Amino acid sequence: MDVEQASDANLVVAVGRWHEPALAEIYRRHGGAVHALSRRMLRSDPLAEEVTQEVFLGLWRNPEKFDAQRGTLRSFLLARTHGKSVDVVRAEESRRRREDRSTRETATAAYDIDREVWDLTVAEQVKDALGALPDDLRRPIELAYFGGRTYQEVAVLLDQPEGTVKSRIRSGLGRLRVNLMERGIEPAGAGL
Amino acid sequence: MSTPAPLSHEEIQELLGAYALDALDPDTAAVVEEHLDGCVRCTAEVAQHHEVAGLLANSGGTPPAQLWDGIASRLGGTSDDSWDRLAARLDVPEPVSTGPHVVPLDPARRRSRLVAAGAGLVAAAAAVVGLVFGVQVDHLHTQVNALQATSRLSAAERAALAEAGTRRIPLADPARTGVTPATIVLTTAGTGFVVNDRSAGLAPLPATRTYQLWAVVGTRTISLGLLGSHPGIVPFSVAGSPGVSAFAITDEVSGGVVQTANQPVAEGTVRV
Repeated sequence: MDVEQASDANLVVAVGRWHEPALAEIYRRHGGAVHALSRRMLRSDPLAEEVTQEVFLGLWRNPEKFDAQRGTLRSFLLARTHGKSVDVVRAEESRRRREDRSTRETATAAYDIDREVWDLTVAEQVKDALGALPDDLRRPIELAYFGGRTYQEVAVLLDQPEGTVKSRIRSGLGRLRVNLMERGIEPAGAGL
Repeated sequence: MSTPAPLSHEEIQELLGAYALDALDPDTAAVVEEHLDGCVRCTAEVAQHHEVAGLLANSGGTPPAQLWDGIASRLGGTSDDSWDRLAARLDVPEPVSTGPHVVPLDPARRRSRLVAAGAGLVAAAAAVVGLVFGVQVDHLHTQVNALQATSRLSAAERAALAEAGTRRIPLADPARTGVTPATIVLTTAGTGFVVNDRSAGLAPLPATRTYQLWAVVGTRTISLGLLGSHPGIVPFSVAGSPGVSAFAITDEVSGGVVQTANQPVAEGTVRV
């Protein structure tokens, strides 16, 4: 098997047969994005490295959890990365609350720093598509996705009703998808 | 936290964006997941949200090489996809029997095959058409079970393989003396695995072909299922068919055949 020529889906099948070069190739293709997302969310190199390792070891142990019918391998890996990072964020939040620091203050400061870093690294079209969203749709998505917060926490941060935030996250993602497609990015085909 | 009240389809739909961004509390997320199990439309919407969210993450550039070293060190082996490594992962002991224990399924067929091989491809093709491998197929698994072909062994299966009495049966290439491209690992309970050394064993077939596994039980030849075009480790069961005397693998059209006219590409007998 020529792993460099293989599709993502075929690489996962090979991983299912304990083919380590296939996992190495998947890491080469998507490890950077996985690591960058976890580092952005966790703002900690050791924690981000641990999450990255867990994501790839998870694929090694349970490759059948990836369903090529449902989406790309990259979005699958990033969803796993996000979920694991959220777990860490919430554990950290819990610790901060115990230390009696203001969640709102921490979140806002982190949000501003994150935007600067993110602006340097993400594709222009994606930036453009996100920038084209009205603030009231964009901010809930950013705070939930990059901040690892529940929509109820986002509602508190933005001082808006929970139901409004819940709806805006969903409609914002739908609008973002349209914006991306208008800029020549087809989300369903990303990462292949 | 108390159990959330049952939610309608519309209420679940409103949560899908937040669910895709992991922005639900665990109890509500569990309710959504239960709904997703039976709702294709909502599952598709979540997949779309995941794709969009994935684009928000940056491309990340080159992943850290030292991080891969850490991952590789936790995989439990080297990158050598050899039988020895596979056997180690399966906890299968080395065979205790000695001496030659791989013989052709049928000496008459073996002679025909050798003659055909010597006479060139045209004669080989003619011989293949003229020979019927398998007297009667009375038990056929024709559907490719994708999970069977691609998933790894469960803990229970590995435990079964470590049982006393588990045997390793080399499958020899009848056309190449001394070459055993694949191995059968068979437990006393009838659970077995075809183990193909993917680097040196059965070669990859075109997408229109598949390897098919057969067992000889008495005078009958039974299909044990399709192995795919480039198998690694594929489980099978002969639990309902005691008394298997031999195994063979043939190269068939995708979808497999009820009975084969092709020569085995690998075969071996079960020593009692």
